[in-house]
Amino acid sequence: MSSPTPARKGADQPPVVVYDNVRKLYGDFVALDGVTVQVNKGEVMCLIGPSGSGKSTLLRCTNALETLSGGRVLIDGVPLPADERDARKVRQKMGMVFQNFELFPHKSALDNVAIGPVTVLGMSEATARERAMVLLEKVGLAAKAHNFPSGLSGGQQQRVAIARALAMEPEVMLFDEPTSALDPETIGEVLNVMKRLADEGMTMVVVTHEMSFARRVANWVVVFDHGKVVEQGPPEQIFDAPHAERTRDFLSHLGWNG
Amino acid sequence: MNLDWSIVWDHRSELLHGAMLTVLLTVLTMAVAVPAGIVLALMRLSNSKPLAFASQCFVEFFRNLPLILVVYWAFYVMPVFLHIEFSAFTTGLVALCLNVSAYNAETFRAGINSIRKGQTEAAMSVGMSRWQAMRTVVVPQAWRRVLPVLASTWVSLFKDTSLVSVIAVGELAHVALQIRSSSFRVLEMLTAMAVIYWLMGYPQAKLVDWVQKKFEVKE
Repeated sequence: MSSPTPARKGADQPPVVVYDNVRKLYGDFVALDGVTVQVNKGEVMCLIGPSGSGKSTLLRCTNALETLSGGRVLIDGVPLPADERDARKVRQKMGMVFQNFELFPHKSALDNVAIGPVTVLGMSEATARERAMVLLEKVGLAAKAHNFPSGLSGGQQQRVAIARALAMEPEVMLFDEPTSALDPETIGEVLNVMKRLADEGMTMVVVTHEMSFARRVANWVVVFDHGKVVEQGPPEQIFDAPHAERTRDFLSHLGWNG
Repeated sequence: MNLDWSIVWDHRSELLHGAMLTVLLTVLTMAVAVPAGIVLALMRLSNSKPLAFASQCFVEFFRNLPLILVVYWAFYVMPVFLHIEFSAFTTGLVALCLNVSAYNAETFRAGINSIRKGQTEAAMSVGMSRWQAMRTVVVPQAWRRVLPVLASTWVSLFKDTSLVSVIAVGELAHVALQIRSSSFRVLEMLTAMAVIYWLMGYPQAKLVDWVQKKFEVKE
């Protein structure tokens, strides 16, 4: 309603994930109420909004950790298959990073990264470990390769978790509040790794409460409330000149003032 | 009162043989009841309703009957109804296996359930099937939590093997009680029996303490 809306950066790119009128119910509770958004190749889409507004649920629907109650999720134009075996194939195209890291505590950092290719792709352990080492270098943790998760800080664990997801060479990375469980001083190192991934052109969907990250890195920001999309647009629109009253409320509650 | 401890020494070879059978029963029972417990637990946790129900029935049945009753039942009832007749030793082993498998199933189930759901989800998010996630991520972690409980079960089992003496399996309790009845040396034999059981049980209990310390879950 104020300034003209800037164009979407990835508009000329093919969509990687399309959410088409997605609904999710938990009993009577409506977690997602007809959500329609899409992520194009090479875009970083940030999902923001109050807790319990459905952001994480949408992310979990993307790789079929949750089943849909209605609507469709299309990955590269193909709906998520209902059959578990086929769903697994699609899941391999997506890397996921969890709020609580969920590293495997009985495996070293190196083996956490190598376990996917070994178990799922049948790669030899030697090859998988070599590749895992390259990925750990990428997230700056080659020196900690033989540490177990209990011997790593939260930020380090989350970077290993990112490397673990990258090991499957995904087309798209899903981040579910990747920094919410971290000490403030380690948030930066995780966001930096994510920023670098974005710069390399990785397609990313990020549920986050880090508004400055969303402002700086996202190409497209989606604001959720009560299972619905309140507003979506480029970060300049959302953070500098939001159209929706609800967006302004939410951002001012976070103390955001441009 | 005149005590004659030589009776113990005179029967040392029978007692030794009995003690060996006690150990053998314990080892064989666990060798069967650990895999059986894993299978029962996985059945219970599977998506198949009939499998889960069958496992639950088995566990609730044998877990809630006194072991001595199961021993008698295996000895007297099983041959009549199921037309299965084993030696006393095998019958006793079957009864112990039924009981301990039921306990182990619950131990494994609790161990598997104690692993956060997020671990399975993380495994599935790299493309693993439910089964692969169970095998490579959940069970190896559950194992550490289960081992101390299995160790305690082991020590209970070691003592509970004495119950199969009621169907004349020649393990330590039976041998000692036989010598007692033929010699009327009640006090000597019961004392000897206690000492032998204690001397064998104590190191095992210490081993359990060590296992529990070593595998204590720190998070």
